[in-house]
Amino acid sequence: MMTKSQFAIEVEHLTVSYNARPALLDVSVNIEADQLVGIIGPNGAGKSTFIKAVLGFVRPDLGTVRIGGTNAQNAKGQVAYVPQRGAVDWDFPITVKEVALMGRYQQIPWYSSPRKEDGETAMEALKMVRMEEFADRQIGELSGGQQQRVFMARALAQGSNILLLDEPFAGVDAATERAILEVLDRAKRSGKTLVVVHHDLSTAAEYFDKLLLIKQRLYAYGEPAAVLQEDLLSQVYEGRLRIFKDIVTKEGA
Amino acid sequence: MFELFISPLTETYFQKALIGGSIVAIVAAVVGCLVVLRRMAFLGDALSHAMIAGVAGGYLVMKLFFGLEAHAPGMLLGSLIAAISTVALISFVSSISRVKEDTAIGIMYTGIFALGVVAVSIFRHYIHIDLMHFIMGDILGVADTDLWVSAFVAAAVLTILILFFRHFQLATFDPIMAASIGLPVVFLDYLLTTCVSLVVVSAVSMVGVILVVGLLITPAATAYLLSDRLDKMMILAALFGVTSVIGGLYLCVWLDSAGGGAIMLFCTLQFLVVLTVAPKYGLLSRWIRMRNLIPQQIVEDILTTILRYDRPTPKSIIVKYVETGKGLDRALKQMIQDSLLSEGNSDFTLTEKGLTEANKVLFAHRLWESYLEKIGTPDKEVHSTAHHLEHLHGKDTIEYLDKKLGSPKQDRHGKRIPR
Repeated sequence: MMTKSQFAIEVEHLTVSYNARPALLDVSVNIEADQLVGIIGPNGAGKSTFIKAVLGFVRPDLGTVRIGGTNAQNAKGQVAYVPQRGAVDWDFPITVKEVALMGRYQQIPWYSSPRKEDGETAMEALKMVRMEEFADRQIGELSGGQQQRVFMARALAQGSNILLLDEPFAGVDAATERAILEVLDRAKRSGKTLVVVHHDLSTAAEYFDKLLLIKQRLYAYGEPAAVLQEDLLSQVYEGRLRIFKDIVTKEGA
Repeated sequence: MFELFISPLTETYFQKALIGGSIVAIVAAVVGCLVVLRRMAFLGDALSHAMIAGVAGGYLVMKLFFGLEAHAPGMLLGSLIAAISTVALISFVSSISRVKEDTAIGIMYTGIFALGVVAVSIFRHYIHIDLMHFIMGDILGVADTDLWVSAFVAAAVLTILILFFRHFQLATFDPIMAASIGLPVVFLDYLLTTCVSLVVVSAVSMVGVILVVGLLITPAATAYLLSDRLDKMMILAALFGVTSVIGGLYLCVWLDSAGGGAIMLFCTLQFLVVLTVAPKYGLLSRWIRMRNLIPQQIVEDILTTILRYDRPTPKSIIVKYVETGKGLDRALKQMIQDSLLSEGNSDFTLTEKGLTEANKVLFAHRLWESYLEKIGTPDKEVHSTAHHLEHLHGKDTIEYLDKKLGSPKQDRHGKRIPR
């Protein structure tokens, strides 16, 4: 690498398989920095494998994933992960501030306690998502949107330039969806690249700058209008085309 | 008094039991917090049962090869090996077959426990292990070696847990994030399992195979009901562990009962008490919260009653129209606090906010009445049914009804429908 890459995430010929079945097949895509990118695709399309590859958890059969120019497996911590709400134990004895502080754990040596600066960074991150007054609450006492924001704060405290969100909009009401989107937008404006796994095709065009359509292979990457094409969607979502006709026409209008 | 509390303390066996029990209880409770949060209580049970094979194996090896009778370190090492191989077997079976983990645990630990039981009975002329002692434990007969072993185990395990507190916290709470910042999640899992095995092994001689899992999880679960932070939970759990041992030992001396049983009985009672009275997650506080909840229905009934009365309404009128038990005063007070009502001289008026709310309900009532009439509900039921249904006044519901009825301007009595 000569200079720092202009792309946040570079994926080249990525092929990953489980038991002789490809989860991802020859995926090549360059994701620019400062974008809000949605990953769409049906169940079992390899979305979670893609996430794992970006986090550096899987050893690809072939190809590379580079984060800011560094191989993903050596770039631990450069991508901050925001888990799905359903994957979190909300009864866990932990406060909002402690969750935000977790974002600093990588920077704290194992033999020492969190320093004062770490606490301050965590509080700052909470302020950014407007959750500072809830700092001492147990996380289960918050509403769905607040919970999502706490984990956003953790990702921000991590200081990574790339945030990876796993279905942040799953199971929240419309108002909460707005609130989360606003936080994502603010993070984007402060120079973060956000990669978001998303399920709802009807909102995909409205929320994201770029969409990435995968089903094992990469079908399309680009502006929503270019990705939400009837022929592409029909290939990826076989036989369930009828529903998407509306979306495509809505998009065209 | 002296007889009851002080005189047991002068007995050596009681002192040893108290010290040994407390040490074991503290470390078991602290590790137990992680066991509870990771939902691996069943695994703790499995480890304690699997031990017997290790104890028998260790005994046999030391006796046959070195001629040592009941060599404690040998048996300890044996039980540790047995515990760890049980865990390995469990994860092997559940990962290569369709058998799920809880079933795999059940199969493996009973199997290895059975192996131990058979070995002990076959080699009964070589190894002198009292199965009953192993199963029930004997805290009142704690040997000095047991005390030392448990002290070392406790020191080692507590050191590990304190040093790597943040690592265990993160790996338990969010293993994916933990892995994403490069924490050795799998290694931490094994480290924790080893700690649990060590604790179980050192505790079995005191409270026995069956009760050891209780010492592991009950104090931790008790603390779980009281704390919103992991460090606080661990400290509280340790405290509850110690109080269980102290309370249980006195119980055992006074009632002349089995030591391990008395400790676990006390520990469980302690849990039940906390479960009842815990300020936030307890049953009592939940019941009080539920009781204090003022049903939306009552609030709305009060609002519409005052709206219909159309002037400052004394309480006697409200009582007549609103069906409540004793909750009316509380409801009124809450509504004043929520600025829905203002209180005058022994009567109540709607505030602006209250008026909006009341009109919304009244609107819903009128719409429901019109709707009921339209679908042919008998006249005399219309009002009372609408009275129940008026509480369904969500935006979607109202829009649907309004559209379906063609946005009526008047209700059946010719009254204007407030919009």
